[in-house]
Amino acid sequence: MSKRLTGATGTSLIGGTEARSSRSLPVLLIPIGVVGAALAPVPLWIGDSRVLMGVAVLGLAFACYAIGFNVIFGSTGQLFLCVGALAGIGGYGAAILADTVGLPITASILVATLAATFTGGLLSFIAVRRSLGVIFTGIVTLIFTLSFDALLLGLSDLTGGDTGRLIDSGAGTFLRDQIPPYYLMLALVLVFLLIHGLLRRSHIGWAFRALRDDEVAAELAGIDVARYRVYGALIGAAMLGLAGSTYAFTEGRLSPTTYGFGQVDVVVLVMLAFGGIGTLFGPIVGAVTFTIVDEILIEFGQLRQVAYGILIIVLFLRMPRGVIPTVASLWRRVRGLEGSEDSETTDSATGNLEVVSAESHSAE
Amino acid sequence: MIANILDGIVLGLQFGLLATGLTLVYGLGGVLNLAYGQMAVTSAMMVAFAMDAGIPALPAVGIGLLAGGLLGLFLDQTILRPVYRLHDEPRVLLSLLLTLGVSFIVDGFLIWRYPLKALTLHIGGGAVEILGVPMRRGSLVASAITLITFVALFLFFQRTTLGRAVRSVIEDEEGARLVGIYPDRMLRLILVLSGVLAALVAITRSMVTPVNTTSGLSITVFALIVTVVGGLGNVAGALLAGIILGIVSVVAADLIGSYISLIILLGAAAVTILIRPAGLLGVKE
Repeated sequence: MSKRLTGATGTSLIGGTEARSSRSLPVLLIPIGVVGAALAPVPLWIGDSRVLMGVAVLGLAFACYAIGFNVIFGSTGQLFLCVGALAGIGGYGAAILADTVGLPITASILVATLAATFTGGLLSFIAVRRSLGVIFTGIVTLIFTLSFDALLLGLSDLTGGDTGRLIDSGAGTFLRDQIPPYYLMLALVLVFLLIHGLLRRSHIGWAFRALRDDEVAAELAGIDVARYRVYGALIGAAMLGLAGSTYAFTEGRLSPTTYGFGQVDVVVLVMLAFGGIGTLFGPIVGAVTFTIVDEILIEFGQLRQVAYGILIIVLFLRMPRGVIPTVASLWRRVRGLEGSEDSETTDSATGNLEVVSAESHSAE
Repeated sequence: MIANILDGIVLGLQFGLLATGLTLVYGLGGVLNLAYGQMAVTSAMMVAFAMDAGIPALPAVGIGLLAGGLLGLFLDQTILRPVYRLHDEPRVLLSLLLTLGVSFIVDGFLIWRYPLKALTLHIGGGAVEILGVPMRRGSLVASAITLITFVALFLFFQRTTLGRAVRSVIEDEEGARLVGIYPDRMLRLILVLSGVLAALVAITRSMVTPVNTTSGLSITVFALIVTVVGGLGNVAGALLAGIILGIVSVVAADLIGSYISLIILLGAAAVTILIRPAGLLGVKE
């Protein structure tokens, strides 16, 4: 019974437009190219400002985090509340390996990314083995995040504790210039998008979709649900670790807030909720929008948090599937292509939560 | 060692009370209230403002408890309305996300407007010896209030018709409805109770350490962990889990040192969840 309810969750909160996906490769490459082309000229107008370029690089790092989290939560329904911690394993790990152990930068990024991947896979393996539901997976990974934070503060010789640490490796190279880090992170975003896009077209993507929609049915159809969950976590955690460690070298200093729960996990959740959980481009839409809005509202300081609180509530009440699916269904309706299958998406777009409720009932 | 265990029990009682307000709402309504810590902090700030305005401590505490109850009622009447229309796991997820939004709004406002405000209740008098261990009077008063609250809660749930009605809804909502109990009224009652408990937690805590405007998140997180270890919806489990985790935390802090003790505490919680997902006193469904 409880397994079946997990399926109901999938249909009501995690939605995507990818149901019809007999897409050919150009159909995937063109939108990714459009994203790249849209984001590439950004340094032309804000390239003079070191502060704004820093904001843009951080925004792209967040886009990477959101894609990684999307692969884990959006594709396989595992609520990993340790996005920041996994990225932090990458970031702190790479910094310590490069500075203290003396590995070359690329090698330390590689090793730290592997460490994050392994940790993510292990967490998922434990959750799957103990068949924890969405909520319990969330709580166990939250406990992991808290332990990671305690470790950062405790091992102050290596991490610099509360004040953080500087990273000596990479100083004076292109990694600390004003413009190149932006393109480095943008390349990561595009590669991650491509990987996620290809993944969705592969047999793994089909398995993800099946287990997300109805776990029991997927199991009955011969899909090894446990194995594909761990795959999802491994891929997502690798993205988080790689993005976290790369960002660390472009930033040049780390502190517990760089990868903090409130600073990363919550923000990523808002971004993804805004863009659309489980969609390919939702993370980008969410990250870009959030970064711009955050920069505009920066003078309001702490009051921004109030705005995000209101945003979360309105989003989940009015558009539980996020902006992309909502806009997509409106677009289909405008073009008169709305079929009977799309009606549920359209209804949620008009904010009718009763429909979501009815759906989850029918799934029981 | 006796000193450690006594300190652990003092901390554990706090943990237990912290989890009770959260666990009741979850057990009864399937609602995970992530704004719980913010409810506690807001009530504590009400007490602080009342005392700033020259109101004596006891009536000020009364105002704080009232504020907590009203906050619970407010949540029930506004943000949780759409949540009640969902069922089972979607309900938990939506309640979690919406109350996360509420916690942002409260935290953002409080930290923006009153960044340095804190509530500290001074309990006069020197240390009191218990089993040969000197204990701070503040911790003792806090523990006494907590214990009395627990006894009152147990009496309420075991002896009164209303308490039994609430338990019947936790056990079987449909069955309760059939014998003429309104689950939504019970839920409203429990949300108010949860708000009062949140306020009480913040107030007793302020007798031991200051409660800041930034304390909300950590209160929620610890309440959540103790709740899960004790078993969702289980008051006795929350008390037991609170005391065990309190003792583990204090003993580990004394033997090993501060940050590793937190990790041990978290590890103990994680292991319990993994070994017994239903919680210490939980019954497997």
